Order: sequence, then structure tokens, then C-alpha cells
Amino acid sequence: MGRTNFLGEFEELILTLVLILGDEAYGNTIVRAIKEHQNREVNLSSAHITLYRLEEKGFLESYLGGATKARGGRKKRYFKITNAGKALLQEMKDSRTNLWKLTPQLNFSS
Amino acid sequence: MSPKRPPRLFVNFFKWYCKPSLQETILGDMEEQFDEDLEQYGASKAKRRFGWTVLRFFRKDIIRSLFNGQKLNYLGMFKHNLLITYRGFKRHKSTFLINLIGLSTGLACVLFIYLWVTDEIRKDKFHEDNSHIYQVYSNHHDASGTFTWKGVPGLLADEIKAKVSEVKHVVAATDAHEYTLSTDNDAYKVNGKFANEYFFDVFSFPITHGDAKNALVDPSSIVITESLAERLFSTSDAVGKTLEFHFWQFKKTLTVTAVIEDLTTATSDQFDFIMSWTYYHEVLVSYKQWGNYYARVIVELNDPSNKKQAEQKIDAIFKENLEGTRTDLFLTNYSDQYLFNKYENGEQTGGRIEYVKLFSAVALFILIIACINFINLSTAKASQKTKEIGVKKSLGASRNSLVAQYFTETTCLSLLGLFVAYALVYLLLPQFNYLSEKELSLNIDGNMIFSSLVIILIVGIIAGSYPSFYLSGMNILKSLKPSLSIASRHSWGRRALVIVQFSISIVLIVATILIQQQMRYVQTKNLGYDRDNIVYFEREGKLLENHDAFISELQDLSGVEKTAASGFMVGGGNSTGGVSWEGKTEEEQVQFWETKAGYGLIDLLGIELVEGRAFDPSFGTDSTSIIFNETAIAAMGMEDPIGKTIHHYSGDKKIIGVVKDFNLISLHTKVEPALFLFNPEQTHFIMVKIESGKELETIEKMESLYDEFNTNYPFNPRFVDQDYQALYSSEERVASLSGYFAGLAIMISCLGLFGLASFTTERRTKEIGIRKVMGSGVWNIVLLLTKDFTKMVGIAIVIGIPLSYYLGAKWLENYAYSIALEWWLFIGAGIIALLIAWITVGTQTIKAATVNPVESLKDE
Repeated sequence: MGRTNFLGEFEELILTLVLILGDEAYGNTIVRAIKEHQNREVNLSSAHITLYRLEEKGFLESYLGGATKARGGRKKRYFKITNAGKALLQEMKDSRTNLWKLTPQLNFSS
Repeated sequence: MSPKRPPRLFVNFFKWYCKPSLQETILGDMEEQFDEDLEQYGASKAKRRFGWTVLRFFRKDIIRSLFNGQKLNYLGMFKHNLLITYRGFKRHKSTFLINLIGLSTGLACVLFIYLWVTDEIRKDKFHEDNSHIYQVYSNHHDASGTFTWKGVPGLLADEIKAKVSEVKHVVAATDAHEYTLSTDNDAYKVNGKFANEYFFDVFSFPITHGDAKNALVDPSSIVITESLAERLFSTSDAVGKTLEFHFWQFKKTLTVTAVIEDLTTATSDQFDFIMSWTYYHEVLVSYKQWGNYYARVIVELNDPSNKKQAEQKIDAIFKENLEGTRTDLFLTNYSDQYLFNKYENGEQTGGRIEYVKLFSAVALFILIIACINFINLSTAKASQKTKEIGVKKSLGASRNSLVAQYFTETTCLSLLGLFVAYALVYLLLPQFNYLSEKELSLNIDGNMIFSSLVIILIVGIIAGSYPSFYLSGMNILKSLKPSLSIASRHSWGRRALVIVQFSISIVLIVATILIQQQMRYVQTKNLGYDRDNIVYFEREGKLLENHDAFISELQDLSGVEKTAASGFMVGGGNSTGGVSWEGKTEEEQVQFWETKAGYGLIDLLGIELVEGRAFDPSFGTDSTSIIFNETAIAAMGMEDPIGKTIHHYSGDKKIIGVVKDFNLISLHTKVEPALFLFNPEQTHFIMVKIESGKELETIEKMESLYDEFNTNYPFNPRFVDQDYQALYSSEERVASLSGYFAGLAIMISCLGLFGLASFTTERRTKEIGIRKVMGSGVWNIVLLLTKDFTKMVGIAIVIGIPLSYYLGAKWLENYAYSIALEWWLFIGAGIIALLIAWITVGTQTIKAATVNPVESLKDE
């Protein structure tokens, strides 16, 4: 894995959430989703900065749209995962599964 | 602001720092979140969270780059600005030169004064223990007031050493004086002093050969400077060599114990050798008592904060030993003596520090004048650039780039001015040193560079701020439309600056004339004694025993008018309080200047007798005779003094005469009591009055006669009038220096006026052309153009004259005898200023008025 292909934990989380949220992925929805799914308070700025960083790395792309009254008539910046982003997520998931396979089998059910 | 909106402050802050491309969406997100928070937590928490988020967004990826986000070619723009600046200088050569000359001469003056002032301030401060070194002074109170000087009884030194625990070292010393030193080969007149063995513990004069510790213990020891060693022995390592000391009837063989480095100008105490205090005290001082103030005592304290205690103890010791004295002793920091050397009635009243202040003020004035000029001319020139600005703006130049251009221009010029100023100082420093009798060098240190850069940048920025901010903010249409309104609306600022300049110039003109006049007055003032064509030289060797024979042979030389044995010294020699008379009370302590005299001295000096007679061999012996001046008689409150007997410390004396007052000390003080004591054997000099016009040949003849009599002693005659001039040498130097500086300041003001005049006439060429076509004469136009400047100078005169009157009156208070402040002096200064202004402006206006209207009305 090259340097640009490495993702931090938070970056991976955001990338995954963008994938999950689909057409509704922008700053606020992501912050809300993190709170909902992970029970974790994240500042808007952290989400934004990570989004821009991922965009710069080519895993996300953004487009403007959806101005609503609630936000003072301002446009939203929606994010969409790119193919490279999807591939990376897949790759990370696979490598983790492979790693898990190597661990001693534990029986959680009993 | 509704409570439902996010805090405006943070919104604005965010808008200010955020990249424009990100601004809208982020702000939208934040506002959306704010609304949610508002519902969930209430207004105050929502606001707090909003603010926090804004602060959290303040990071690298979000903040806009410094310059509008557009990447301009800054280096390219800078190069372009430099090029424009260069072309501007080339096109307006005369303005450029006037500006540069004005600024750089002004700065050079300021630099010179800075060097001079720092040299004065640093005087005597190089001694390592400087802050611990104190000189003992004495305040003598008598009926006429308090007299302060650094003479103290020599016996004091040992007592202080024994009894005052605050004191680390005590130095007993004398002032430097000229003595004769001889080796086997030759004899020399050398300046030297006496000091005890602690001298080198207290003062940091670097030793090159020998041991400083015990250098002055032995009575026959002498410490000499390197250059004196070279002169006497042709080697700098002179330790162990012997030489002979001659003073009056004393003679002593001495051994060199140490050699010190030549003294620099950093010390005010100049000498070429030091001899042992023991020898001086044991042998040379004949009257060793507590009432005789023959020594200088310097103490080094363990801790300067104990100064008060040490002072009290020293004064107490003195009073214990001299009961009923009306003299107090006090301490003054050794290095302060140089700058604060004037005392009036026991109070410290300035001294050289006044010249330091005067010159600092002059430097400030010149700096202000030069800067005003620079600012004035730059703004005047810039207002011609409205068209250029209009064109540039319509082509899309941003305001910032215009501001940058003007700042580049003015800072370039001011930096160039600074550079030229340094070059000027470097080149002219030898001349300045000659004029100021100093040995200054241009040691460029970080401090100096830093402060001059700061000053020059401030000047550059002020000068550049008018064109850059006012003109660049101007409406394009207005700047392209031909109109005259801009210049006239903003010229009041420039006028005020010209008025300030000329007021300062007038003050400087008055100051210069005043100082010169007072100096001339000092030079020519009748002091009550003659000082022309009178020379004197020391009695040494054979002259001590048979001076009578020598005097009578001198008298026979052609060209010699009068001769006498003399103890007369310009500036006062010995002062004594040891005189008492009938009816003298405790309070009537009077300090007299004492002059020992031989026959004919009073006549030789041209001092007039009021009553009685002078010392005269035809009246038998005069050995118990004394003569007072009128002030002395008045101070003693005597009526009919002739024939009365008074008690002098050397015995009872009869008053045989009263002479008219003569000013022995200096014109700074009133005439003080003085007495002449008949005692030719004890006199130190032989004085000769030479026929005027025959000085040189007569002195040659005197020299050959002297050599016959006194083969081994150098003949070194001195002129009384030179001694007198030396009393005022520091004033003389200041007078000549201030003259130069005033001249330069006026020149700089004129350059400014010249520039301004050429600028206004240039602007009014068309107007002048039209006026001429309509039939106006040349003189009408000249008058029209000059009127404005005359008004300004007129106002400057009104401001300058009272100011200069006040300052002049204050300065003359320093003299007990001074010129009166005449009205014509001030009117004269005003007229000079007006004439200078007219001549400066006239050259420009006449040129403009005589131009053929065809030329001026024709458009490009």
C-alpha cells in the first residue's frame, strides 16, 4: 500500500458513511450519522477537513446543490464516493477479514 | 441582531479568514447545525458551539492565502515598481536631486551630532568600577554665596581610609600640570600629575609594562605613557629607566615603574605621567593643613547605595579637624563631573550637558526639517500623478498595487538618502573632528543601523502614504478629468510644514548670531587687565636663584616693554580663605584669589590703581605689603583701607594699595575678591610685555638669552591671551559648530522651498500664460507667485521671533556679563529669512513669468 492509499480510522469512517448516506452525504448529515451510529460527538470542522482531504486524495468527489431556507439559502456541498474510494474500502475490509481469519477462533455465543 | 441568528462577530471572522471557494457551503452547514442546536440546547449554548466551530475551522486547509487567493507575480511587480521608480527619478532629475540632497545632508548632520553627543556622554565612563567611583567636592560658603570646587585638604585621604568603612579605596591626586622632565640627553615640558598607590585600583588605565600594584608607592617612582616613553627613551619598555623631575626649586631623580597605554579621548583627565603622591605631599606641599584645599580626593565605594552615609562620615571627619569651618564636603559621581560641571551657589546647574542638549535639539530640528522637506516634495510631486493613476486604474490596477508602487518609490529614495548620508559622514569625519576637536570614528553598530533604518522607513512611509492612500483611492473619472482642485485643497498641510521649517530656521539664525556676538563680546571685553602681547614662562633652574639678574637683562632687550616676576594665572590660581581683618565675624568668611607678585607686575598687567601705590623698590622693602581689589575691600567692609594691617596666613600684612576690579575667573561669574601678595621669591613665572608688532623677533631674542642662562631647560613661553581664549574654547567650538549646523538647516529648508516653488509654478504655467496674454506684466506675475510664500514666511517669523527671544534670553543667563538682546537682531533674522525665501522662490518665479505664453499655452 502506498502512502496515499493509507486511511486513518476517522477517514475510513467518513468514507464509509459517505457510501452509506448516498445522495444525502454532506457535512451535517455525516456529523449526525456519526453521532447516531457511533455515539460519538464530532466537530463539524473535523468532518469537513477530512472530507476535503479525502477529496484531494481522489476517494471522494463533490458537487454543489440543494440550497434550502434553513441554511440561509446557502448551497450544500454534497460528497460522492469514487470508484477508487469504493475499491479502497473493499480492499481494507478484505485485508481485515484475512487478518481475522488468522486469529484463534473464539466462541462468543457460549 | 435577532437572537435566532448565529453571532455576527464569528460569522465575519469566518468570512474574513475562509477561502472564498469553501465559504458558502461551510457557512451553510454551520448555520444548519446552529438551528438544530438552537432547538435542542437553547440560544446561548448554540452560540457557544457555533463560535467554537468557527475557531476549529481556523486551520491550514481552510484559511485563504494572504493575497486575495490570486497568485500574482510579486517579484515581477516589485521589479516593475523599481523600474518605474528609476524612470521617475530620471525624468524629474531636479526634484530627485533636491530631495536626495536635502534628506542626505540632513541625515548626515544628525549622524554627526549623534556621534558627538555619544562621545560626550561616554566620557570617563570606561572605568570598570565607574558607578562606584566618587569625587569629593567642597562647598565654600561666604558672604557672597557658595563656591563649589573639587579642591579638598590632602590630609583627608588617610583619614577616610582609616575611618570610613563604606569606602574601598581612596585616591589622593592633583590635577595635571606642566612640569619639566629631563633625561641625560634632553629636557621636555610634560603634562603630569601626582596620585597615590590606589590610583590604578580605581581607574582602569591599561598597563603595558611593569606592575600597577606598587607603581606609585615609592616616592621616587613615576608612571609614564607609551608615547612619552618613546619620546624620552626611544622605547616603549622604559621600566627601570631613570629621569629627572624639575619643578621650581625642586629636583628629584625618578625611576620608571610602569608604562601605561596612551590615554584616549574617552577620559577627561589627560596626563602623560603620574608621580607618587608621597613625594608631592611630603616635599612639594609646604602648607599641609585642613584649611588648605590642595588635593583632589576620589573614593571608590563598596556599594553606591551607601553614598549618603559615606558622604556624611567624610564631611564629619573634615569638620572634626577644622573646627568652625563654613565649608561642606560632598560626593559626586566621578563620570558625572564631565557633563555636570557647573555649580551655582552650591547647586548643580548643568554645564557641558547643556551643549549636549543644545546639539540634540539641533539634531532633532534638522531631522524634522529634512523629513518635512522630503514629505512635502514627495507629496507635491505625487499630486501630478493623478493622470497616471487614472490610466492605471482604468486598465485594472488594484489599489494595493498602486499603494505598493508609491511606497516602493519613497522608501527607495529615503534608503538612498540614508546611504548617501553615511557616505558623507564617512568622507567628512576628519573635517568634523578638526572642527570639534574630537577623535570620533564611524563605528557602525547594530543600534545605529537599526535606529536610522527605523527613522528612514517611518519617513518613507509618511511621505508615501499621501499619494498611496489618498490618490490611489481616488475616483477614476475625477483623476482623469483635468482640474486644479486637488492640489489647492490639500496644500494647507504643505503650507503648515513650510511654516514649521522656517520658524525653526529663524530660531537657528538668531541662535547663531547671538552665540557669535556673545563670543566676540567675550573676546573683546575689557577685563580690567591687559592680555595682549604678554607672555610668561616658568622660573626654573638658575632662574630660581638669580631671577633679578635675568629680569634686568630681559628688560634691556629691544622689543621688551616690561618684565616682572609673576604668579598671575588666567582663570584663577590659588584661592585662600586664610585672611582675617579687624572686625571680621564668623559669617564673614571670604575666599580670595591670591596672586604672588614681584615689582612692576600690576603695572605690566595694566591693572589700574584706585588708591595707594603698587609694589615699588623705591619704598624700601615691600615684604609685608598686600594689595586688594575693590571687591575684596567691599567684602571685608573696610573704609579707608590704606595703611591698615590684616592677618594673612603667612603673617601680618599692610595694605598699601587698592586696584580696580579685574575679572580673573571668567565672564560666567562676577568679579571675585582678589589680592596681590609681594613675594617674588615664591612666584612661578616671569612675565614679559612685548612691544606690539615685534612679538616674534623679541621672543627669539628672549629664547637665546634664556638658553644662555638656563641651558638645560626648555624655553616654553605662553601668551596670556591664548590662556584666556582657552577658557572659552568649548564655547568657541560650540559656536562654530552651531554656525555650521544652522547654515545647513537653513540650506535644507531652502531646498524644500525651492522644490515647492518650482512645483507650484509648474502647475500654474497655463494660468501664467493666460495672464500674460491678457496683458499682465512680469512683475505682477512674480508678485502673484511670491505672495503665497511671503505669507508663509511671515507667519513663520511671527512664531519664530518670540521663541528665539525666549531661548536666547535663557542662554545668556549663563553669563554674568553678556550682550543685550537687541530688537534689530530679531528683525534682522526675520529679514534674512524673508530674503532667503524670496531669492529661492524668485529664481523660479521669474523664470516662469518670463516664458513666452506661446510656449506655455501650447499643448503637448
